[in-house]
Amino acid sequence: MTQNGTAVRLTGVCKTFGAHTAVDDLDLAIEPGTIYGLLGPNGSGKTTTIRMMMGILLPDGGSVELFGGAPDFGRRSRVGYLPEERGVYEKMKVLDQLVFFGEIRGLARSLARARAEKWLERLGLTEWASKKVQTLSKGMQQKVQFISTVLHDPELLILDEPFSGLDPINQDVLEEIVLEEKERGKTILFSTHLMEQAERLCERVCLISRARKVLDDDLKELKRRERTGVVAVEFDGEAPRIAWPEVLEVEQVGDAFHLSLDDGVRPEEILGAVLAEGVSLRRFELLEPRLHEIFVRHAGDPGDDDSVQPAGGAS
Amino acid sequence: MKQVWSVIRREYVERVKTRAFILSTLGMPLLMIGIMAVFGLVAFLSEQSERQIVLVDQSGQLGERVRQALDEAGYDVELAAPGTAAEELDQQVLDDELEAYILLDDATASEAVFHYRAKEPPGSVRSQLIRSAIVEEVVDMRLGQIEDGESVRRLFEGGSLEYEPVGLDEAEAEEAEAERISGMITGIAGGLILYIMMLAYGAQTLQSVLEEKQSRVVELVISSLRPWQLMLGKIVGVGAVGLTQVAIWIGCVALLAGLALPGLISAAPDLEELGQVRQYLPGPGAILLLLVFFLLGYFLYSSLFAAVGAMCKNLQEAGQAQTPLIIVIIVPFMMQMMTFQGNNMPWMNWVALFPFFSPIMMYPRAVMGDVPAWMVALSIVLMAVTVWGAAWVAGRIYKVGILSQGNRPNLRELLRWIREA
Repeated sequence: MTQNGTAVRLTGVCKTFGAHTAVDDLDLAIEPGTIYGLLGPNGSGKTTTIRMMMGILLPDGGSVELFGGAPDFGRRSRVGYLPEERGVYEKMKVLDQLVFFGEIRGLARSLARARAEKWLERLGLTEWASKKVQTLSKGMQQKVQFISTVLHDPELLILDEPFSGLDPINQDVLEEIVLEEKERGKTILFSTHLMEQAERLCERVCLISRARKVLDDDLKELKRRERTGVVAVEFDGEAPRIAWPEVLEVEQVGDAFHLSLDDGVRPEEILGAVLAEGVSLRRFELLEPRLHEIFVRHAGDPGDDDSVQPAGGAS
Repeated sequence: MKQVWSVIRREYVERVKTRAFILSTLGMPLLMIGIMAVFGLVAFLSEQSERQIVLVDQSGQLGERVRQALDEAGYDVELAAPGTAAEELDQQVLDDELEAYILLDDATASEAVFHYRAKEPPGSVRSQLIRSAIVEEVVDMRLGQIEDGESVRRLFEGGSLEYEPVGLDEAEAEEAEAERISGMITGIAGGLILYIMMLAYGAQTLQSVLEEKQSRVVELVISSLRPWQLMLGKIVGVGAVGLTQVAIWIGCVALLAGLALPGLISAAPDLEELGQVRQYLPGPGAILLLLVFFLLGYFLYSSLFAAVGAMCKNLQEAGQAQTPLIIVIIVPFMMQMMTFQGNNMPWMNWVALFPFFSPIMMYPRAVMGDVPAWMVALSIVLMAVTVWGAAWVAGRIYKVGILSQGNRPNLRELLRWIREA
C-alpha cells in the first residue's frame, strides 16, 4: 500500500482539563510506513494526545491533522484504534462482536467473519469464539479488541498501551504482528511506558513528560547522538594496566572494563592503544545508552513522574 | 448507511436473545390473566368454605321464605326451632361450635334490616349474597301485601331507558353498539400499551447509550459512524424490539380469537356467547393508527432518553436526570385514566393535542370516536414536527455527551452543547 504525505501531524497542540495541563504545545509528525513510539510515564499526556488524534477530544489550541486533514469521520475510519481503556460489548459473543466491528468499518459480513476467524486462530482464541466477552480474562479481552482494531486492514494503527496486561508470550506475538504490519507498509503509532518495548520496535520515538515533549527523534540517530563515550573492553587472559591519558575513568563490570573516554577522543585511538599492549581482545564495544537512560537524562526517572525536573530545562 | 443497519441489527438481535425479553413478552399476558384469576379464586374460595348457616326467625313470617332463598343461593341452612333463645346460639358462637347465625325480627319484616351474629364480620361475597337474598324476600312479601305491587316492583328496579335508533334497523344498531365497546377496549388497551412501551423501551434506549458511553465502546464506534447515525441505529433497533413484542401480543390475541375460540365453541356449544368477544376486537384501521402513534411517540421519547443517557456518567445520575421525562409520560396517563372512568371534559381533548401527551391521550380518543378526525390528523402532524425538533436537539446533546467524561451539564452548559455541537 502506498501512502503519501504525513500520516499524523500535530502542531502546537494544547489541552487542559480545568487547572491541569495535559498536553502543552506539542508538535509531532508521523511519516507513513514507520513505527513511531510515544513514550512517557503514566499521566504524562500520551492518552490525551492519542484521543485528540482520533477526534475524541478537541485540542484547546494548535491543530491536529490525520492524513493531511482534520480527524473527521472519513479519515478516522482509515485508522485502527486500540484505546487504553478497553471498550468491548461485554455481553456479546466474541465472534459476533468482531463481525459487528468489521461491518461498521465497511467490511461485508462474510468477509468480516472470515477475517475474524483467521485472527482468532492466530491469537489462539478459536475455542472462545462463541463465548461471551465477559467470560474472557482481561488479557484475552485485550486480544479480542486488538483483532477488532486490525480487522478492516487500516493503513494506520494507533495503539494506546497495547502491551500492558499481556503475558510475555502474547507480548511477543503482538510485537511480531506489529512488525509484520510495518512490513506490509502500514504506519504504526503506539504509546507505552515500557522503554524496552519501544527500543525493540520503534524507528522513531517521542518522549513526553509532564505534558511537554522532551525528545522527538529517529531512534538510531538519537542513540548515536546520546552516546556517552563509554567503551566496554574484555580480554582473554590477564588484563593490561589501563592508564592512558585519554581514559578518564575505569569501572570494572564483571569481566568487562567500562572506559569513559575524554571528550573528542575517538574509540579507534583506544582500540589502537589496547592492541599495542599485545593482549588478546575478546570484546570491544562502543556502549550505546539504553532508551531508559536517555529518558532519565532528559526528564528524570520515567518510573516516577513526581521526580521529573521541569522539562523546559531539557535540551 | 450500511453501518446504521449493522447497528440496528446488533441492537435488535442482542436484545431479542435475552431472557428478559422472552420473559416480559410471555410474562405480561400471563401476569394479567394470573392476577384476574387469583382475585376471582380468592373471593370464591373464601365463601365456599363456610356455607353453613343457622337462621332464627323472631318475625314469625319470614323464616321459611328466607330459608328457601338462601338454600337456592347455595347455603346449607338450618332453621332453628321457634322459640330458640338467641343467648343459646350466642353461647355456641363463643364456644366455636357455630360460626354465625342470622336473626330475623320485626325490623326485618318491615325494613329488611337483619342481624348477622358472629365473632368476625362476613366477607364481601358472603354479605352480598345473604343480603340480596333476604332483601328480595322482604320486598316480595311486602309487595304481595299491597295492591298494584307488580308495577311498584318495576319502579323499584329502576325503570329503563329504551333506546330506539332512528334511521337504523336493529342489526345496524347492534353493530354500532359493538363498535362503541370495541373502541373502548381498543382505546384502553392501546393507551396502556403505548404507556408501557414508551416508558420501558425509552429507558432501554437510555441504558444502551449509557452502556456504550461507560465502556467507551462509543469512542470506537464513532470512528465509523456519525453520532446521529449511531443514535438513529440504536433508537430504531430498540424500537424494533418493542414492535416485535407488541406484534407478538396482538398476534396472540388474533390467534386466540381466530382459531382457538371457534374451536372451543364447536367443541363446547354452551360457550357460544364467548363468540361475541370477536366483534369487540380492534380492526386493522385501529391497529394501523396504534402503529403510527407508537412510532411517533416512541421516537419522540427515546431520542430524549438517548440524550439523557449521553449526558450522564452512570445509572444513578441517569435515574435522576430522566425524572422530568418520566413525569411527562405519567401525567397524560393519569389524565387518560380519568377519561376512562367517564370524567372526560371537552378541554381535555385540547390537552391531548399537546405532542408529548398525544400518544397516550389522543389515540384512545381517536378509536373511541371522542374527537373529530381533523383533531387526530392535527395531533399527528404536531407530533411529527415535534419528533423532528426533539431529534435535532437530542442529536446535538448526544454528539457532545457521548464523548464527554465530565459531570452532568447544567441547563446553561446544555444550551451551549446544543449551540456548539
